This record gives sequence, C-alpha cells and structure tokens, in this order.
Amino acid sequence: MDKDYRILMGNEAIGRGILEGGAKMATSYPGTPASEILSSVAKFSIEENVSCHIEWSINEKVAYEVALTNSYSGKRSAVSMKQVGLNVAMDPFMSSAYIGVKGGFVLISADDPGPYSSQTEQDSRFLAMFAKVPVFDPTTPTEAKEMVINAFDFSEKYEIPVMVRPTNRICHARQKVPCYDIPQRVEEANFEKNPPRWAATPRFRYQLHKELNKKIHEISKEITYTPFNSGYLLSNSKEAIVASGAAFSHIYDILEDIDLLDKIPLYQIKMPFPINNTEMRRLISKYNRILVCEETYPVIEMQMANLKKVRGRRSGDIPSEGELTPDILYSSLRKFLRLPKTKKRKTPPRTKEKRPSLCPGCPHRASFFGIRKALPKGIYTSDIGCYTLGMNMGVVDTVLCMGAAITQATGFYHSYKNSNQDPPPIVATIGDSTFYHMGPAGLTNAVFYDAKFVLVIMDNSTTAMTGNQPTPETGIYPDGTKGKSISLEELIKGCGVKWIKEIDPYQLPEFIKTVKEAHNYCRSPKGGVAVIISKHPCLVDKRSEKKWPKYLVEIDDECTGCKFCIEKFECPALIFDEKNEKVKIDYNICTGCGICAEVCPTEHIHIKKEL
Amino acid sequence: MDAGYDVKKSEVHGMAQRGGSVTSHVRFGEKVASPIIPEGEADILFCSEKLEVLRWLAYCNETTKLIINNIEIYPPLVNLGEMEYPKNIEKAINSKFKNNYFIEATKLAKEAGDARAANVVMLGVTSKFLPIDEEIWMRNILARLPKKIHELNKIAFKKGREVV
Repeated sequence: MDKDYRILMGNEAIGRGILEGGAKMATSYPGTPASEILSSVAKFSIEENVSCHIEWSINEKVAYEVALTNSYSGKRSAVSMKQVGLNVAMDPFMSSAYIGVKGGFVLISADDPGPYSSQTEQDSRFLAMFAKVPVFDPTTPTEAKEMVINAFDFSEKYEIPVMVRPTNRICHARQKVPCYDIPQRVEEANFEKNPPRWAATPRFRYQLHKELNKKIHEISKEITYTPFNSGYLLSNSKEAIVASGAAFSHIYDILEDIDLLDKIPLYQIKMPFPINNTEMRRLISKYNRILVCEETYPVIEMQMANLKKVRGRRSGDIPSEGELTPDILYSSLRKFLRLPKTKKRKTPPRTKEKRPSLCPGCPHRASFFGIRKALPKGIYTSDIGCYTLGMNMGVVDTVLCMGAAITQATGFYHSYKNSNQDPPPIVATIGDSTFYHMGPAGLTNAVFYDAKFVLVIMDNSTTAMTGNQPTPETGIYPDGTKGKSISLEELIKGCGVKWIKEIDPYQLPEFIKTVKEAHNYCRSPKGGVAVIISKHPCLVDKRSEKKWPKYLVEIDDECTGCKFCIEKFECPALIFDEKNEKVKIDYNICTGCGICAEVCPTEHIHIKKEL
Repeated sequence: MDAGYDVKKSEVHGMAQRGGSVTSHVRFGEKVASPIIPEGEADILFCSEKLEVLRWLAYCNETTKLIINNIEIYPPLVNLGEMEYPKNIEKAINSKFKNNYFIEATKLAKEAGDARAANVVMLGVTSKFLPIDEEIWMRNILARLPKKIHELNKIAFKKGREVV
C-alpha cells in the first residue's frame, strides 16, 4: 500500500479515513466543528475517482438513517454531524445499537468544548454510553483518521455502530498525516431479509438487548483499545494521570516541559466506552491517587468508581465547564501533584472579545430592519444560523435549537391567547436551510392548531454560517453537480399555509409593507400563519449569481451624527467619525447595496449613481 | 514541515467570517503533541491588525517578538460608539515589551502592487526570526498562490524581510 504524507486539517483527515476505510456512502448535515468532514469526502472522492454516494442530508436524523441502511445492505457507510446534531438523530441512534449493522457503520459526532459555536458543551461520549455503542476518542488528526478506519473493522466484526468523537481541537488542528490508497472495488448491495432483526418487535428487542450487552462486554476486552501507557512503567509513583482526546496531548507536553514525563505514569484512554474494567481495577489498586483529564463531561471518571482515589470533575480538581486548555490543565496538575507554585508571569488582562456582526450588505440585516420597522412591539422568535446575530439589532428574542423559531412562535401565541390576552405581534425568523432541516413539522402543527403569527423565511439560498453548503432548493449536490431543485413555496403550501409572499428585502419599503400585510392577514378572523419568503442570495456565497445593482452611496455634510443608522442598522461599513461627529462610509467593505439610504431618518445618506 | 520539524496548528472556526476574532496557534519542534500554546509561552505574536495585539498579550512574555501590521480596522463596538478604538497602542506596547515591530505592511504591500499582499509582507518580517530558509518560505507561499500574482508577492515578501 502506497503511503504519502499530506498536511491535513482534522476534518480532512477524517474525510480521508472514511474513504480509505472503504465507505461507499457518506452523509451529513453541516455544523461547526464537523462541517468540513463531508466536503473532504467529496473532494477526495473526485480526486481519486472513487464511487461513493455523498449527501448533505436534510437533517441529522435523515443522514443517520440513510447511511445506516446502506450498511444493512452489507456496505460500509459513515455519517458525520456536530454534537447537537446527534440530539436530532437520537431516535435512530438508540435503536440501531440494538438492531446492529452489517457493513461497517461509523458515526462521527464532533464536540465543541468551550463552546465556540454551539448551544451546549454536551459530551457525545455520554450518548455513546447511553446507547451502548463503543466510542473512540482521538488526540490528533492522524489518530482520528486511524480510528475511523479501525472503527469500520470493529463495527463489522461486532455488527454494531461505532462512534468516533473528535473535539474542535482535533477537527480544526492541522498536521502531517500519512495517506494510503483508497479502495476502488465496487461492492454489491445485498440486503438479506430477517424481519425479527431488522423489524424487531418488543418481544425480540429483549433478545437484541441481551446480545448488545454481550457485544459490549467483548469489545471492552479488545486489546487495541485497552488503556495505553505512554511508556514509563518503571516509575514507582503513587500518582498517575488518565487522559483522553485533546487533553491527553496537552498533558503530555506539560509533563515533558516540567521534566516529569518519565516520573508520572500517563495513561491514554482511546476508547472511553466500553472501558476495560479489569484494567481500571488494576490502575485503582496500583495508585493512591489518579487524576482524570477528559473533555467535556466525566465519562471515564464516572466509570472509575472510586471517589477517594479518582480525582477530576466530581472532586472539583478539574473545572466542570469550558475547554481544558494547557493553562487550566497545568494549574489542575500542579495542585494534584502538589508542585510548588511557580512565579506566575504577569500576563496582561484580556481585552473584550470582538463581537461578530452580519456582513456588510447582508440581506438578513435588511429583513431585520424591515421587521422591526413594521412591527416594533413584537415578540421575535428566531433560530440557528447567521441570523442569530439579528440579536444585535434587537430583533431576536429567543434562540433554542434548530426549527424552534416556528414552534416557539406557536407557543407564545397560545400562551397569551389562553390567558385571554391580546397576543402581541409575533414574528418568527428562520433561514432556508434550517427550515428544510426541521421547519415543516412545526409549521404544519402551527397551521393545524391555528396559531397566528408571521413567519419570515430568510432565504439566502445557502447554508451560510457553516461555509455555504448547498440546500435542496439550490438543487446542487456535494460534488457540485446539478440535481432537482425542491421548491420552498410548494413545501410551505403543503404544510397548509394559505398566505405566502416572496419578496427581496433589498426592496425595503415594499418589504416593510409586506410584513404589515402579513400581520394583518394572520390576525384577521379567518387568518392563520402568514409566510414571507425574504429572498436574496448570501453575499459571501461564491455560487450565487450576483444580479442586483450596486450603488455608489454617499453621506452629505448635513449628517446630524444621530447614529441611528449605526445603532439600528449596524452595518460594519458605516463608521462614526469622532472628529467631525458624523457618520462616514468605509468604501473598502461597502457592498453598495444602498439600503442605508432608506434607513437614515434625516435623509442624509444618498444613492449617487449605479456602479 | 519542509524544514524537517514536527508541526501542529490549531485554529478557531465558526464566527470568523462574520467579523469575529480569529486566532491560530502554530507550534513546531522535534516532537509536538498539543496544538495549543500555553499563556505566556508564545515566541512570536503575529497580528494582522493593530488592536488585535491587545487581545492576545496574555500569550506573551518579555522575550516574545510582537509583529504587528500598523493598520486600524474598526470593530462593531467601536462603530457603535460603545467603546473607543484604543489610542496609543504603540506606546502602551513599547512600555511593556521590548521586541516590538509595528510594520506598515499595508503600505508596503501597496507599493509592491496590491494592499492584499499585506500578510505576505508580514510573513517576510516573521521569516527573519525563524530558523527556516528563505527559499523554503518563498516556495511554500508561491505554491499557494495563482501564478499571475507570484511576482507581486515575491516583492512583498522581500519588502518584509528588508524592513527589519
């Protein structure tokens, strides 16, 4: 087998591992820190001309089920998602552990300790334990790739789904990674019918559960994945460290830095579940105190059930939330090993984090401004995506999880109505990709139970926040080829909505009028949910055809410096000139959308000409 | 890597494209396990904007080299007037750290032909402080750029090497 080295990001290494491991299907829904996995599978499959069915599925549950079923036909498949995506796929995940698989089936669930770009810091390894499937916890991109390949073999050997759980520091780290050939063989799909297994009724499930427990017991004894000592068994230390994932790498470097690598035994746990109990008992009897370093919940620690000897999150030796950075780990380690305090270098205080905002010219900004202008006293439910940043403009009151803009608007409406109060105007905002992901069920429910609110689908024809992955409406596949486009409007109609209007938010006065109309319709005696498709392509999407006019915008000398445009419109291209106490335009980033000219209350922003 | 080192790099994605702050850590040596630099341990702090230097000082010590593009880009909170763009950054930095390089990288890049080559000017500066041959730097930078801007970037890189 030929080997060559490439500089790869963790997610690229995982994508490569999926193909090297022989997968003939890969599915996913985009979400940081997992997004680049599927695009890498697409990239490598084109590069090496391998036939693999690749899809950005509608949501994680769909992705999971499609990939799982490929494995029922005896072929290898992989599904990748971010950790909160696994919540969406929880139903098939739990059940598939009992039923098992045929062809190797690998689930990659990427966690986000910090969190940097997620609703929670939840630990997918806990869900692996909950479902009773094995989980591998890689420490580097190279190891992540090895583990993915290994996971296919494991999965096939035991006929069980296997989870690989990288964290953001693995997904987005880069290093030199050895790459091998990608198998080119075409396999036949061969589904062998067996209803008691593939369609098991509760009577059979008891038996399946029993088999699952047996598999897990066997897997825990697998030699490749017994706790691995980093090499210095001769030490007679009474203290030891057990670590996994990114925390292991940090601890390794810290011990080396303070010359303790050959004195303090350090164990790597590659498979946090099912853990090898014999080995764990041995560690507990051998050492007086053990510090467990893992992200983000105490999964290994809780399986080492000795509260006196085993230290970590439960004992307060490791912080219970946030990423385990080298600095945090060093301080925990120092206390655990009772090392003298080093003279702490005086480090300057950290500056306030930079607040993100919507891009200059972003169509969402126009939509939000219009919604607020039309219905200033509303309750604004929103969702997961770039448009969460509408919070800066005071037009996002709630963000819960994918699709909740619609269900929460429903909840607010009934909550007020049921108390015989007049419900305030309610406007739900959701992106097009998020709507496809989880919107239709909530919308059908809202229509059926007669909730009266305005739903604005901010249709920028892409999944912008995660790197512009295509949506079903664009009709583009992950490899860039063209397929069928699914009409957003027909989908909304199918949910029972009677009032739908499409409008470009760049037509701001018209847009404001439409929002008012929609609200009046929905609160009329025969009204119901009114849907506005606010359609304008994302400006950073390279695929979008930029077919709208660009203007030269100028601010005249009469600008009163009231800052209304900066505060309520918040375009990064509008800057306050302290010296002249006037607003000026940063032409380096202005996109020439010209909307700010509509925004200025004193009419001092002008469109000079079309560019 | 071309120079024979073990290298690990870490970066934060997510809000980057929407104007959030972006950081990357690069560590190299004989063997590197962790991709993150502990606080106070950075050898070089590379800032492509002046204010950014203040956000990451916690990673510096008295011997850290601070290489800063001397250009101001206003973040949203400054635009909103909720905060002021800090004045006298240069003076404040010079009073605390010894090895500071405020580089007119954007200006030099314009001279080379395009303001967008500012970070290549900055790499030119950085290359002076790292034990890696100029030829290796040049080869790797050019390998990542389209042919038609090779000449321009060669000049930008040289300009960076010449200012320090």
